[in-house]
Amino acid sequence: MNKTLAGLALIAIFLIVLIPYASNDPDGLEKTAESMGVTEQEAVWKGLMPDYALSAINNPYLSTLTASILGITIVLLLSIALGKAVDSKKTPATKDTPRN
Amino acid sequence: MHIPDGFLSPTIAIIMFALVLPCLVWSWRKVQATHSRSFTAVLAISSAFIFAAQMINYPIALGTSGHLVGGTFLAVLLGPYAGMLSMTIVLLMQALFFADGGLMSFGANVFNLAVIGAASFFVVKLLNRNSENTGRFASSIFIASWLSVVAGALACAIQIGLSPVFTSSGGIVVTIPSMIFWHVIIGVGEGAITMTLLTSLQRFNPSILGGLMLLRERVKK
Repeated sequence: MNKTLAGLALIAIFLIVLIPYASNDPDGLEKTAESMGVTEQEAVWKGLMPDYALSAINNPYLSTLTASILGITIVLLLSIALGKAVDSKKTPATKDTPRN
Repeated sequence: MHIPDGFLSPTIAIIMFALVLPCLVWSWRKVQATHSRSFTAVLAISSAFIFAAQMINYPIALGTSGHLVGGTFLAVLLGPYAGMLSMTIVLLMQALFFADGGLMSFGANVFNLAVIGAASFFVVKLLNRNSENTGRFASSIFIASWLSVVAGALACAIQIGLSPVFTSSGGIVVTIPSMIFWHVIIGVGEGAITMTLLTSLQRFNPSILGGLMLLRERVKK
């Protein structure tokens, strides 16, 4: 668990440092759509934090950073749940074999 | 390369869900049968890292940007099956919470990024064989990750190009060259970053590369 927290901290540092440098230019798909005159329609489902921003926070850096930290935490927890689910289905005999 | 809602026709969206579902079930079973003890921690950290890395767009050229996809990274780190599941979690959370990639187009996004990303494992395997040579390992990774991005872009170009929103302005005749053009460049970034990350991991903590071990085991037989 400590290693997981250390990994999470490293990813948070990665985001703290790099978010200000992230490019806002359209990506390859957006550019393709743009060049063909296709505009992104209003999404049916907007998500809770569209475009990685929390509307409650005015500062764009802090808003994106908070959304990203929430994001990595959610992804981390869901992955742990998936790992546990995979593990629980394993038969006890094979589970006890170290490093199979 | 995440397709938002509104780009795909319902038919294509449904076809992509139908194609992706058996891949995920197959991967789930494979992971159950083969995962190692330290699997959960590595899976969790690498999924979280790829989520973070996909937020950081780097400029490429002519006012266009790209970001690391990480399909090859996950496949070599976790093996192709766990790699596919890990990427699917990232894509699902992006669609649900951040409106990055649509819900209707979720199947297509899983195909273009998670399934093709996982498939690039077999490109690494084919190119690297049983070699312990660092240079060969590095170049195998570079080629496989570049290819995964270009192949994903091609799949995406076909999906959108066959959908009515795009057929009215040229369809696949326009989407394929445009998507390939941008992603040939974006793929170089993918290749360089993936190669750097995986060769560093191999140098400092080779035991963490579960996918790599899987790769070696299989080749030995």
